[in-house]
Amino acid sequence: MRQVIMLLGLLFTLQAVADEPLSAQDIIRKAMDHYRGQTSYSEMTMIIHRPDWERSMTMRGWSEGDKQTLVRVVEPKKDAGNGTLSVDGNMWTYAPKINRVIKVPSSMMSQNWMGSDFSNKDVSKDTAIIEDYEHTLLSSREEDGHTIWVIQSVPHEEAAVVWGKEVLEVRDDWVLLEQQFWDQDGELVKTLKAGEIREMGGRMVATVLRMGKVDTPDEWTEVRTEAVEFDLTLPANLFTLANLRNPRQ
Amino acid sequence: MSGASRVVAVLAWRNLWRNYRRTLVMLLAIGTGVWAMIFMSSLMRGMTDQMVLNGLAVLPGEVQIHHPSYRNDPSVVNSMSAPGGDLLAALEKPPVTAWAARVRVPAVIASERDNRGVTLLGVDPSAEQPLGSLPDEIVEGRFLADAGDRGVVLGASLARKLDTQLGKRVVIMSQDPQNNVADRGSRVVGIYRARLASNEEQFVYAGRDVLQEMLGIGDAVSEIAISAGDYRQVALWAPAIIAAAGPDLEVLTWMDLDAFLASMLNLQDGFTLILMVVVFLVLSFGLVNTLAMAVFERVREIGLMQALGMRPSLILYQLLLESLYLLLLGLAAGNLLAWVTIKPLESGIDISGVAQGMEMMGMGTTLYPALAYQDMLMSTVVVIVLGLLASLLPAWRAARLDPVRALNKT
Repeated sequence: MRQVIMLLGLLFTLQAVADEPLSAQDIIRKAMDHYRGQTSYSEMTMIIHRPDWERSMTMRGWSEGDKQTLVRVVEPKKDAGNGTLSVDGNMWTYAPKINRVIKVPSSMMSQNWMGSDFSNKDVSKDTAIIEDYEHTLLSSREEDGHTIWVIQSVPHEEAAVVWGKEVLEVRDDWVLLEQQFWDQDGELVKTLKAGEIREMGGRMVATVLRMGKVDTPDEWTEVRTEAVEFDLTLPANLFTLANLRNPRQ
Repeated sequence: MSGASRVVAVLAWRNLWRNYRRTLVMLLAIGTGVWAMIFMSSLMRGMTDQMVLNGLAVLPGEVQIHHPSYRNDPSVVNSMSAPGGDLLAALEKPPVTAWAARVRVPAVIASERDNRGVTLLGVDPSAEQPLGSLPDEIVEGRFLADAGDRGVVLGASLARKLDTQLGKRVVIMSQDPQNNVADRGSRVVGIYRARLASNEEQFVYAGRDVLQEMLGIGDAVSEIAISAGDYRQVALWAPAIIAAAGPDLEVLTWMDLDAFLASMLNLQDGFTLILMVVVFLVLSFGLVNTLAMAVFERVREIGLMQALGMRPSLILYQLLLESLYLLLLGLAAGNLLAWVTIKPLESGIDISGVAQGMEMMGMGTTLYPALAYQDMLMSTVVVIVLGLLASLLPAWRAARLDPVRALNKT
């Protein structure tokens, strides 16, 4: 989820791009710099698709910077009120039915988040992609009047990352088109794809993000953004455990 | 009197061989019975030994020191500082032959494909080596070089489940004392094989210093394991360690750490005795029958001896002696047979056909029968005591014969 939020952040920054050639490091860093320090509020639907069933959840999410995220489920009714707060890489969940805030232990960080194809780690992990990876610009191409950079990011030796490499495609208006996760044998494992890029909340936004594993093409999770607002003033107590338990927004 | 008993002893011995075929059959029965008792109990002892040894291989060190709450909640919060002062002095002097301090925390290991819960062991290889707690066999790569080695060593079974292999990076995740996620990427430098696949899947080895750094616990450790050689002698030297560790640490012997193993060991002796008694009960019918026949055949002879003035107690004595000779010969044959058959098998019996079932009991695929002298001694005592008790009835009846009637018996 965090990645989704991060991506949303990336996508939302529709700034004029300087014409001078950018290094891969610069592209990622610049995208991140635009993303940092911003606040957002979004309404989205997450669709979890499996061969024999499909379910969707409507959620509301808030983010501030890249360290704080809060997501609440609005629908379906039986999941309504479930919340996930992540601050500085730690994660807590709240379920109104049991009226408990539970810290997600490290052992659960690799588990999937709300049954989706995103892991808890995907949702809560800091967007530390700048520090954890070594970035190189593989190629760039022109498409529909945009420049698209293809960046290969290889994790540092001791970074807590299982991937062999990630390949990111970033459009020159900072929309991240695709993020590929490769294993250490050079095989593609899963892909996060962006689609239906259009203006929303005053910026270009990829309104559909689909995460899917290569091995199981008929299992995927899609996040559709329905509405989004940027640079709004968020209450100071939004990203606190007390607020997770007793929603005030 | 001593002259009389000498005569009776000779008489008893000669009587035994008057019907040598019957005696030989009875000897065969007793010998086989004794062999069965010893053989079965050596198999059982072998199984129990394996379970104890495998159990100890999981918690190496016959004595372990923990933070008092560690065993209830094996989290990193319940760690203790590295040993110093009195405790260090006690650890460095005999009879302690080896000790190691390790970090042992629950963790999750993740590859690109899968993730699993494991027990992460932060070890110092040079200290663990004499303790015998390192994996039996490294099948690929190498074991950790020292406590600062930045790689990890996985079990073959775990590597297969994670779909990872030697030289690849995995992520280990645990939490620090403040409950924050502590994780790092690590390269797989070695793959080990253990006797039990479940151990292969549970234990992941990493350098101790590296884990301490990852968890942010300074030089603290979760566990100190101590060994002094023979696991059966632990009660002799454990008290000195307990005294040195002081009241703030929990010092436990392996009997307390794994009560199941300790009770298995006790239970085994009881089982052996029951087994022997049951085997002997079957035997005793044959024995009583043999003696009853011997008495029946010699009724007139016994009557004659009584008429000539032999006291009933001597007749009783003679018949019991006959029985004793029979038992002793049978025991000698049975013990010898057992020794001859078990010794060559002590190198191990392959039971891999039922390996999965055996693994549930914490055993490997090879059964090592253990011939214990106390089992041989116990079977001897059981056979002699019960054998003489069983012989009492026919002997007593022979001693109570009326000489006149006995002589007139046709």
